[in-house]
Amino acid sequence: MQINSDLQFIKYLKGAGGDTLKKCYQCATCSVVCPLSSDQKPFPRKEMIWAQWGLKDKLVADPDVFLCHQCGDCTAYCPRGAKPGDVLGAIRAYAYTYYGFPSGLAKLASSSSNLPILIGLPAAIILVLWYISGGMHLPEGAVDFGKFFGEWHFHYLSKTVFFIDAIMLPAAGLALFSAYKGVSTMWAKMSEGLETKPGFRPSCPQFAKEFLWPAVQEIISHKRFNECGVNQDRVRGHKPLMLAFIGLLIVTTYGFIRKDLLGIFNPSLHGPIPLWDPIKILANVSAIALIYGILLLWGKRSNDESVSGAQGNFYDWFLIYEIAVVGISGLLSELTRLANIGTLAYGFYFIHLVAIMMLFLYMPYTKFAHLVYRTFAMAFERYRQSDYVTKKA
Amino acid sequence: MGAVLVVGGGISGMTAALEAAEVGKDVFLVEKNSYLGGRVAQLNQYFPKLCPPSCGMEINFKRIKNNRKVRTYTMTTVKAVAGSAGSYEVTLETAPRYVNSNCTACNACVDACPESRANAFNFNMDKTKAIYKAHEMAFPLRYVIDPSACTRCGKCVEACKYGAIEMDMQAKSFKLNVASIVWATGWNPYDPTRMDNLKFNSSDAIITNMMMERLAAPAGPTGGKILRPGDNKEPQSFAFVQCAGSRDENHLEFCSYICCMATMKQITYIRERYPEAPIYVFYIDLRTPGKYEKFREKLMADPKTFFIKGKVADIVAEGDGGVTMVAENAVTGDKVRQKVDLAILATGMEPAAKGMASLPGVTLDKNGFIVSDADRAMLAAGCAKKASDVVTATQNATAAALKAIQASRR
Repeated sequence: MQINSDLQFIKYLKGAGGDTLKKCYQCATCSVVCPLSSDQKPFPRKEMIWAQWGLKDKLVADPDVFLCHQCGDCTAYCPRGAKPGDVLGAIRAYAYTYYGFPSGLAKLASSSSNLPILIGLPAAIILVLWYISGGMHLPEGAVDFGKFFGEWHFHYLSKTVFFIDAIMLPAAGLALFSAYKGVSTMWAKMSEGLETKPGFRPSCPQFAKEFLWPAVQEIISHKRFNECGVNQDRVRGHKPLMLAFIGLLIVTTYGFIRKDLLGIFNPSLHGPIPLWDPIKILANVSAIALIYGILLLWGKRSNDESVSGAQGNFYDWFLIYEIAVVGISGLLSELTRLANIGTLAYGFYFIHLVAIMMLFLYMPYTKFAHLVYRTFAMAFERYRQSDYVTKKA
Repeated sequence: MGAVLVVGGGISGMTAALEAAEVGKDVFLVEKNSYLGGRVAQLNQYFPKLCPPSCGMEINFKRIKNNRKVRTYTMTTVKAVAGSAGSYEVTLETAPRYVNSNCTACNACVDACPESRANAFNFNMDKTKAIYKAHEMAFPLRYVIDPSACTRCGKCVEACKYGAIEMDMQAKSFKLNVASIVWATGWNPYDPTRMDNLKFNSSDAIITNMMMERLAAPAGPTGGKILRPGDNKEPQSFAFVQCAGSRDENHLEFCSYICCMATMKQITYIRERYPEAPIYVFYIDLRTPGKYEKFREKLMADPKTFFIKGKVADIVAEGDGGVTMVAENAVTGDKVRQKVDLAILATGMEPAAKGMASLPGVTLDKNGFIVSDADRAMLAAGCAKKASDVVTATQNATAAALKAIQASRR
């Protein structure tokens, strides 16, 4: 058997939180104490030796890497302090860069040394557009973010909506395209070892119904997360955070349809949604849940690091900071808007826009990518057990 | 020229004491228990020749008995050490045995005694009376009272024809002047309850390797039959859990050295009694140094003994009294669930010095082993120095004796 070791890959893992991986001596305690490991495909013992040997191709095509929720039970029971949970986290970080498209952007988003560009780029784009729009001054009257990019007398599409769409739609579109490309490459790699009957494949609705939707249900209920032992209390942060994102997705979609689409025909739909509108209530509740969730996860991580002495890494912290900035800048924008403090309100709103653009733009390459990759890996786990697959690899 | 103090009367301590005494040194041998022989006395057989401990112990006892240079103090512990190399003043304390040297081991006191105690020598798998003989070949051969079990009813005093029982015996403190000290404080089996995933207390079908020694020993709680504690069933299948607490930084960081060979040895115990029973050995690596490789090869050729590379990380107690081992077979990548009637945890050696409140003047390494310091005439011997088998322990005990002699002549 020929082993194609990728030394750079090993080096990367060591720098991305997997510095302990060489301590593993393959006792396989981890695969037994892992509450999420199945009897058919136990992990993370095999992943540890693949990582030690630098078998990158095996790892990025391994669904089990993405099924890991980093409960930390394996790490707690590891007799050698090899921290399999952290090593798998580092492998996932690598995989998101590996599958990322365009690869230049994916690489850019993988290192803290690129932070000035990562923040500077969206900030510059918005700043320049803000300047070009001519809206970069305190507008007359009460604070209204609908006038952030100024106003024009074209009734059907407000100037600010136009600019926001011009910024966010390409960013979100790129993210969606990249995620689609990454997930389909991943799926193809994972399927390589499987044997299927020719011409016998699930249709799209079948795929959604039999594999994807059950996975999504499991994710929303946090079923697996709840099986975690050591790190189970992360659920208390992750659950409100995830629900907040779903809530905000609903609100954003509603806002988009109301302002950006229906607003074209009925200009009176522009302007802030009233505070007691159910959708606005959902938005505010979600915002608070988001801030609560992220602060809890923040505290948990920094506490874990001080207790275990684990090294903090960019991969984990970037997402925490990013979401925290999105939540807090959004809340501050709203509060200063209600308090009618123009300078502060527009300033916070600017930060909020930059943070949201970053969230969209870097979603497929940073830890945030787990929301697509893990979902599809969980769907794949069902798929490989299904009758569509004749010989289980 | 000063005397040598040997602390600990197991195989290493006895060896160090005899080696020094037989070349003319004055030796004080102190032992915390009421008998000499230590852990080896608890074994059914021991390496290298798979002898019962009576063989080997007996000759040492005889050497001690016949050598006026060795003075032995059982039930004695070191309380304080003052001075420096060449002139230590050691304060010791002898706990009351409540039985004096008139004892003839006639057993009349045991017949009279109404109280009982869990028998620590047999890992609490049976009971003795509150007055008891520590074990079959206890040396010095003298009974002892466990004050925590004794109600001082006085029945044994009446039964004893020789006036050997002194209920008012007190602890005695005394001082010795010695030139050097050999610490042969030995080891304790690692506490199996500390591996919470192995759930030692969840089932009687989970025992330790030291309990297995007692079950196999002719003078053990089952008379040498290997029966499952609790229901005394003859087990139809066995599993060995290697590295139970050893090579694990959450427990004992080091390899305990003996557990692989102990398991191999215990497979022979099982085979003698249950020729057809399947035996499963779950391991990380098998360490059978030197000539023991041959022994391993012979055992691995047995078609009913299965070696599975993968550490047991979960044990599930079953309703029928058996237990299921859960491991991942690292060779095939499959999860294994193997139900057996009896599981033996190959627990490792925890240096006894680690648990002692204070060993005056002694330096321990981070694992609790004693660090020899020849300049200060503080020497470690046997398993107090490092986890080892009997052969290695007696070798380094001899080495410690030599260094102790050298230190006493400076």
